[in-house]
Amino acid sequence: MEQTFTVAEVPRVPPRSVNRESIISGLWLLCALFAVVIVFFILLFLVWDGLPAFQEIGLVPFLTGTTWSPTFVPPAYGILPLIVGTLLVTIGAMVIAVPLSIATAIYLSELAPYRVKVAVKPAIELLAGIPSVVYGFFGLIVLVEFLRITFQVPSGESMLAGAILLGIMSLPTIISVSEDAIAAVPREFREGSLALGATRWQTIRQVVVPAALSGITAAIILGMGRAIGETMAVLMVTGNAAIIPSPITNVLSPVRTLTGTLGIEMGEVAIGSLHYHALFAVATVLLLITLAVNLGATRILARLNARTTGRKKGVSLRLSGIVDSPQTGKVVLGLLALLVAAVIGAVGGLVSAGAALMVIIVLAFALPRLSRRRSQQLAFLLLYAAVGVVLLILAIILFDIVSKGLPALSWEFLTGSPRDLGRAGGIFPAIVGTLYLVAGSIAFALPLGIGAAIYLVEYRREGRLTRLIRVGVDLLNGTPSIVFGLFGLTFLVLFLGFGVSMLAGQLTLGLMVLPTIIRTTEEALRQVPQGLREGSLALGATRWQTISRVVLGPAAPGIITGTILSIGRAAGETAPILFTAVVFSQRYLPASVFDPVMALPYHLFILATNVPGAETNQYGTALVLILLVSAIYAVAIAVRTRYHTALRL
Amino acid sequence: MTMTPTTPETIIETRGLDLWYGPVRALKEIAIPIRANRVTALIGPSGCGKSTLLRCFNRMNDLVPDCRVGGLVLYHGADINDPAYDVVELRKRVGMVFQKPNPFPKSIYENIAYGPRVHGERDRKGLDAIVERSLRQAALWDEVKDRLHESALGLSGGQQQRLCIARTLAVEPDVILMDEPCSALDPLATAKIEDLIDDLKQNYTVIIVTHNMQQAARVSDFTGFMYLGELVEYGETLQVFERPTKELTERYITGRFG
Repeated sequence: MEQTFTVAEVPRVPPRSVNRESIISGLWLLCALFAVVIVFFILLFLVWDGLPAFQEIGLVPFLTGTTWSPTFVPPAYGILPLIVGTLLVTIGAMVIAVPLSIATAIYLSELAPYRVKVAVKPAIELLAGIPSVVYGFFGLIVLVEFLRITFQVPSGESMLAGAILLGIMSLPTIISVSEDAIAAVPREFREGSLALGATRWQTIRQVVVPAALSGITAAIILGMGRAIGETMAVLMVTGNAAIIPSPITNVLSPVRTLTGTLGIEMGEVAIGSLHYHALFAVATVLLLITLAVNLGATRILARLNARTTGRKKGVSLRLSGIVDSPQTGKVVLGLLALLVAAVIGAVGGLVSAGAALMVIIVLAFALPRLSRRRSQQLAFLLLYAAVGVVLLILAIILFDIVSKGLPALSWEFLTGSPRDLGRAGGIFPAIVGTLYLVAGSIAFALPLGIGAAIYLVEYRREGRLTRLIRVGVDLLNGTPSIVFGLFGLTFLVLFLGFGVSMLAGQLTLGLMVLPTIIRTTEEALRQVPQGLREGSLALGATRWQTISRVVLGPAAPGIITGTILSIGRAAGETAPILFTAVVFSQRYLPASVFDPVMALPYHLFILATNVPGAETNQYGTALVLILLVSAIYAVAIAVRTRYHTALRL
Repeated sequence: MTMTPTTPETIIETRGLDLWYGPVRALKEIAIPIRANRVTALIGPSGCGKSTLLRCFNRMNDLVPDCRVGGLVLYHGADINDPAYDVVELRKRVGMVFQKPNPFPKSIYENIAYGPRVHGERDRKGLDAIVERSLRQAALWDEVKDRLHESALGLSGGQQQRLCIARTLAVEPDVILMDEPCSALDPLATAKIEDLIDDLKQNYTVIIVTHNMQQAARVSDFTGFMYLGELVEYGETLQVFERPTKELTERYITGRFG
C-alpha cells in the first residue's frame, strides 16, 4: 500500500494539562492510601500497647485463664470468660435474629405488595438508625425489668437480655443484605418452578432461597460482625460479671463481653499500667475476631458476585451443596431442638425441658405430612408473624421512648445547661457538642472518602494496589467502634497530645464513618453508565474533566445519601468518643477544638447508668437523640427516593 | 456512489496492528489505510474485531482493563500509541459516536456545549453559534430549537443519536468514528442518519462499523471486511461488493456463511 501523506504534518501538540491531571490523580491515590495507612496504624498501636501484656502474662494464660480480675491483689488476667461471654451473646443474638430477618427478607422480596414494601423498608432502616446507646437505655429500663419479673430473678441483667438486644440490633443488617440477595435471584428461576406446578412456598423454599443462600450467609456473618463489635447496648444490659455461666446454657446468668470490658474499664485505668496494656490486648483479640468474621463475609459476597457474573464457581456452590443435602438439614434441626431444650431446662427445670422436647418431636413428625396447600398457609402465616414481630419491636421501642420522653421536652430542656448531675436543667451543651463532633468528623472524612472512591472507581486499573486498598477499606469497615475509641485514645489523645478534646473525637468519628462514605460513593460512581464516560472522553475531555463535569453530577444523590447516613451514625455513636472527647457535665460550650465537649449519646449513657432518679431527663435525652438521628435518616431516604425516580436513564 | 477522480490522501493508517484482551488476540496484523474525506465501512460477523479496531483509532481501548496493543496506528503519520502522544488532543480530532446513544444527563444545549467548554470556549455568544451550527449540521436544529434547555434524555432514540453526532461535530474533529450508530434505531431514524453521513464526508473523514451490509453499500466509499480478528479484504466498496477477491468475503456478502 503506497503512502501518501500530503497533509502537512500536524505539529505535535505539547501534552496539555497532563501535569494537572497527574497531580489530581495522585491526590486521589493519597486519599485511597490513607484508609490503608489508618488500618496499619490501628493494628500497630493496638498491638504495640497490647504487647507488654502478652509478654508479661503470656499468650496462653491470657487466652485461657478463667479469671478476669485486674483490680484484685494479685490481679488475674484471663480473658476466657470474656470470649465465652461474647460468643454466647452473639450466638443468642443470631438465634433470635436469623429466623426473624430471613422471614422478613423473604416477605419483603417475595410476598409484600409494593405499597407495603415502600412503608416497611424505611421502618427497618429506622431500626438501623436508632443509636446503640438508646437500645441500651431501652434494654436497661424496659427489657431487663421485663425479664426480672417474667423469670422472677433478682436481676434481669443477663446474657438473654444482651442476646435479645443484639438480635434486634442486627435485624436491619441481616434483613437488608438478605433481601438484596433474594431479589437478585433471576425471575426465570421462579417462573420455571411455578410453571412445573410448584406452589409459591415450594418455589421459595426449594428454588429461591437456595439460590440466594450465599448472600444470606454473608448477611448473617455481617450481622454477627455487628453483634460482636457492639459495645454500649451490651454493656448496659448484660450485668458484666466476668464469669462463665453455669450451666453454660443458663441464659439468665450475667456475662461480660470483650467490648463491655473495654467500655467499662478503659476510662478508669492508670495509663501505662499492666491493666492498661491488658485492655489493649483484649482489643487486639476483639479486632482479630471481627476482622476474621467480616473478611469471611466479604469473601463470600465477592465469590457470589463472581458466580453471578459467571466467571468462577467457588465456595458458595459447595456451601449450598452442603446445606441442600437433606441429612445436613435434619442434623441442624436436631441440634437446634436440643439447644432449645437445654436452654429451657436451665431456666425452667427438667419438666419443661421434657415438654419442649415432646412438642418439637410431635412437630417434626406432623409438619412434613401437611398437604402442600396447608404447608404454604402455615409458612406464610409464620412469615407474616415474623414481620409482625419485627414491626412490633420497633413500635414498642418508639412508643416507650416517645411517650415518656415528650413530657421532658421543654424550652428550658433544649436550651439550658444541666443541673444537679443532669437530673434537672437542660441538654443544650450536649446538643451543640454532638453537632460540633458530627460536623468536624464529616468535614474530615468526606473529602478523603470521596477522593478514595474516585480513585478506586475512576482510575481503576485493577491490580495489587486497588486490591490492597479494598482490603484496607473492608478491614476499616469491620473494625468495632470501641476499637476506634481505643485507637483515638492511644494515638490522638496520648501520642499526638491532643488530650481529651473535641478534635480527637471528631477525627475518631471521622475514621469510623470513612468506610461508609467510601463504599456508598463507590457504589454511586459505579452506577453512572460507562457510556457517559466514553462519550465525554471521545470528545477530548480529560479524565478529570469527565469526572467533575459528567460523572459526579449523576452520582451526587448517592454520595449525598451515603454522607447523610454517616452523619446519622456519627451522631449516635458513643464508644468512639467515650475516651477521646467527652465529659459528662460542662456548663459552657467548648472554646476551641482542644476543649472536651458534651455529647447526647454519652449524656444518655451516664444518666442511665450512673445517675439515679433522672428518669424524665433520660427519656428526654433519648427522644432528642432519636429525633435528631431519624430526622437525618429521613432526609437521606427522601433524597434517595426522589433521585432514584428522577435519575432513571 | 460518486467517486472523485483524484486519489484521496491517507489520514489514518495501521501497520501490523495487534491487540490482546488478556490472553485473547482480538486483532491480528491489521494493515488498513483510511482515506481522508471518504466514508470507510468496516463489516463482518459479530466478534470479528471491527468495533475493537474502530476503538484503536481514538485509543478508547485504553479504558479496557488488560488490553494491550502492538504494531502501529498512524494518524497524520504520527504514532498515536507513543506514550508522549497527547491522547486528549487525539480524541478531540478523532471524534466518536457510539452504538447506544449516550447523551449526558444535561440539557440539549449543555450536551453540545460540553465539548467546546472543556476545550476552553467560554464566550456565551460563541457557544450559542457552535450549538446552532452543530445541530443544523446534524439535521436536528428544527426539531429542538425551541427546547434547547430541556433535558436531552427526553429526546427520542433517533434524536438522541443525532444529538450525539452534533455533540461530536461541535469540537470540529477531522475524523468521526461511528460504532454501529443505527443499531438501536428504527428504519426512519436510520435513514436520517445515513443521509447525514453522506453530507458529513464533505468536511470529515468517517469510519463506520456496521452489521448491515446494505448500509455499508449505501453509505461508504471504501469497505473493509473482517473475520476472526483479521482484515480479510479491503477496497473500494463497489469492488468489494461486486467483485470480491476472497471467497470468504463473497460468501459473507451473499449470505452463504458458516
